[in-house]
Parts: sequence; structure tokens; C-alpha cells
Amino acid sequence: MLAGARESGTEVVLLSGGTDLVPALRSGERRADAVVALRRVQELRVRGAGADSLTVGAGVTYTDLVGWSLSPGLARTARVVGSVQIRNTGTVGGALGSARPAGDLLTFLTAADAEVLTASPSGPARLPLARFLAGGPAPGAVVTAVRLARPGGPQTYLKIGGRQAAFPAVVSCAVLVDRLRRSLTCAIGGVGRLPARMEEAESAAAGDIDWATGTASPAAARRFADLVTAAAARIAPALPVGPRESAEYRWHAAGVLAGRAFTRCLLPAATPDEPT
Amino acid sequence: MSGGETYRLHVDGFPRTVSGAWIGDSLLTVLRDALGVTAVKDACEQGRCGACSVLLDGRLAASCTVLAADADGARVVTVAGLGTVGLARAVRATFLAEGAVQCGFCTPGFVVAVTDLLTRRPDADADELREALAGNICRCTGYGRIIAAVQAVQRDRAVQRDRDAR
Repeated sequence: MLAGARESGTEVVLLSGGTDLVPALRSGERRADAVVALRRVQELRVRGAGADSLTVGAGVTYTDLVGWSLSPGLARTARVVGSVQIRNTGTVGGALGSARPAGDLLTFLTAADAEVLTASPSGPARLPLARFLAGGPAPGAVVTAVRLARPGGPQTYLKIGGRQAAFPAVVSCAVLVDRLRRSLTCAIGGVGRLPARMEEAESAAAGDIDWATGTASPAAARRFADLVTAAAARIAPALPVGPRESAEYRWHAAGVLAGRAFTRCLLPAATPDEPT
Repeated sequence: MSGGETYRLHVDGFPRTVSGAWIGDSLLTVLRDALGVTAVKDACEQGRCGACSVLLDGRLAASCTVLAADADGARVVTVAGLGTVGLARAVRATFLAEGAVQCGFCTPGFVVAVTDLLTRRPDADADELREALAGNICRCTGYGRIIAAVQAVQRDRAVQRDRDAR
């Protein structure tokens, strides 16, 4: 149906949740000749765990994820999205469709190396999140789920911005530590058009972490924060600046959030408030 | 679905038929403009302020972020449909008694949100109350009176529970 509609020039939009799309239709920012609402497709509301991976259906809401013990990082990210009203309505698939620059879930999934699962008349497909975001789904395809590795260590998500319930983050940061693979991944949202990985800071961190204990020093946290600030400044093209959101502010905030996230994941509990 | 088709909503206990509405209309627009249900208030239309809060199949939602046609068959409850007894009555009466209402525009959304919250989490502490009500904006009270009213409802209900247990 989707493929057919595209050929005939009809503007068909997929609705999953609606917290972004419905206000955009109302304001005229988005237009649609037809809407395919996915809320009742129960198959999209499934979440599950395999031996190594977690699969979260596109119709799963943030509220569904808030208490999910299998992924504390995903649960924490979901918990700080919007308000109760938004968390009850917004979905995983909707977050991918909206692809906001500092999208909470998008930032976390970018750091998590998530894959996007789609279905189309030509069958199911699976592609890395970055490729999905760069090119969108194939014509006529629907996102069915995201897949990410089971957590292998501490994970956290932090953001900064206006009133959380009412406004998206200005800058967002996810840090995931994998003690088995001896790796740390970090994504920063709100600087470029989409969340970006901080590869240089990631590899420096991997060398700074004492993997036997899964801890690092305050000096390593400061180094990590500085590398993230520097990397954020190189992201291109950067988002347009606002009166209270200069590019310099965003780079600085990225470093501050990254340092805090690193500290929460890797510094022993004795120094949780040590400035980074 | 395209424009102008007919669908049915279940609003505050009554079946209602919607016809001729634009397919992109939000539940808020349809409730107020097509069905005359003015118990939901229209303020930001961006899912930010909570004035249009309803229960959709028992879950708190901002009706401006819900596609009306997608609520076909779902149970929609506004402040007017919460009932005149029990918790909903207590929340309304206590809002008045505690001065949690000034201009009143946010009140219908708050009453729905508070009733939902106290149904799920009757003993929520002050931090949880503030977090759970963050999706409802009040520009008059500064929230102090609203939180005080919610806590007064919690105290009354706890006393009631103790009495019932004896």
C-alpha cells in the first residue's frame, strides 16, 4: 500500500505515537493525504531478549521501557523523556521517524550501535542506525524494531536544556561501557543534525580505564570531557545557533555532560561529585 | 483513510460519531470543535502544557498529540467523565478547598493527571508528585497550592484506608 501510494504521488505518513507528528500536521509543518496509524499493530509492541541482544518493537512506548531491568540505560533514557503524557504516547519507532538532533532515544541508540529492523514487500531487512538515518528506510518499508547488544557494563544518559516536560534537550549525551569488549562508546546530540559518536574520546577512554576493576581516575574523566568538547566543535554541519544556544555553549555542555557521564559510569562511588 | 470519513469515539461513557473531520485532526480538535466537549482545554497544541490531558484507554495522554481517527474504538475520559464519587470527587473538592485553582484554565488537565497519578501511586512522595505532574503547566499558582492539595487528598485517603481497615 505504501509503495503504491508513493507511485501515485499521494503523501502517506506513518503514525507511531504522534507526539511530534500530530502537532506538526495541525500546524501545517507536515502535510499528509493519508495517515497509516500503527498503534494497534500488536506485533510492533513486543520487546524481547536474545542471548546477546535486546529487541524493542517500534510500537513500544517510553513508559513501557521505564522499568525495563534488562536495559538500565534504555530505562533511564526513557524515564527522562518529556512528561508522563509524552512517555505514555511516544514510541521507539516515532523517535526514529522524527530523528530530532538531540533526541533522547536517538542519542542513546547511536552510542549503543543499534540496528534498525524494517519490513517491506521485499521482505525483512536490517541496517545500522547511522545508515538508516542517513538514507531513511527503503520506499514502502516500515520500521519494525531496533536491536541493541545486551548491556556489558554501566550505561547512562544525561541531557541539558529547558523544562524537560515541555522542551527537547539542547545537548544530550549517552555513555555505554562494555567490560567484556573493553570498550566505551559515547554519543553527543544537539550539536549536529543528528547525534554523533565521539570516536577519539572513546579510544582514549578505552586506554585510560582499568579494565580489571572497571574504574578510571578523575584525570581520565577530565581528559574525556576535553576530548568530547574538542570533537563537538568539529561536528559539521552544526545546527543553527539560537540566542541562548550558541555553538560554544553546546560544545561546552557536551564536554560537561560527557565528563559527568564518564564519572557516573567509571569512578568509584567515593567520588561521585568530584568536579570534572 | 483519507479525508471526511466517519468514525466513532467513546467519550466519557457515551458513543459519539464523528463525520467530515479532516483526517489529520487531533483528538483535542475533534473533542472541542466537532463534539463540543469543552472539558478539555486548548492551549499549546504541542504536547507541552497538559491542559488537554485525557485518559485514553486508561492512560494519561495530551489529546493534542493523539490523532482523533486513531482513537476510533478507544475509551476517552475527560475531567467531565471521571465521575462524581471517590477519588475524582476528592481531587476536585480539595483543589477548591486548598486554593489550587486561580484562573482555572489548567485545572481540568491537572485533575485528570492527579486522578491518574493517585490511582497508580497513592503514596507518591513530593518529588514523585512534582515529576509526575511536570507535564501540566500552571501559570498562576506556582504549583505550591497544587502540590499541597494533592498531599491533602493523599492524607484524607490514608485516613480513610485506616478507618476501612479497622
